[in-house]
Amino acid sequence: MSSILYVHTGGVKTPERSATPIYLASTAAAMDVEVGIYFTVNGPQLLEKGVAEKLIVPKHDGEGAPLIRFITQAQELGVEFYVCQPSLDLHGLTQDDLIDDVKMIGGAAFNDMALDADQVICF
Amino acid sequence: MATEMPVDQTLDCKGMLCPLPIVKLSKAFKTLEQGQVLLLLATDPGSQPDIEAWKKRTGNELIQQSKEDKVFKFWLRKTA
Repeated sequence: MSSILYVHTGGVKTPERSATPIYLASTAAAMDVEVGIYFTVNGPQLLEKGVAEKLIVPKHDGEGAPLIRFITQAQELGVEFYVCQPSLDLHGLTQDDLIDDVKMIGGAAFNDMALDADQVICF
Repeated sequence: MATEMPVDQTLDCKGMLCPLPIVKLSKAFKTLEQGQVLLLLATDPGSQPDIEAWKKRTGNELIQQSKEDKVFKFWLRKTA
């Protein structure tokens, strides 16, 4: 099976950048690709409980959807979510503050996954 | 083809944008038996290249496609 690892660095201050890596990951999962998303830099903010329900992914006509819809869809399709431990610290978060089914990993584990993946795509 | 081929399931994705048609297609295909045919209706102009990529990657078969007014129709057979 092919594999893609997405790297998501966008946080709550850039809602227009928040959904794209997640829905590309969903699309890849729907193509029977093994997919993970690594949330780092500001990315972990998106995983804080309650945040994605309120974060609206904007559309030009103002009728945006909440980010949680994209997250739920991705997780239902089997996209694995990973979070970078030091970037949780950066935002004063711990894993207990995050939504369910997020795996915490460090730099070595990330690099190992990157070397194993067929493609790494960074946002 | 004079008459439309029989289908086992119709999936109406009209009005939906990427990634919903592909996501819904993937979910629907998991419920199909080998050899069954699904008719996908979509209005997303990106659906044509997306379906091509999806069937190439998943190994399923695109039997036929058409476009009437703004609606794309894709007949897909489960072969993978």
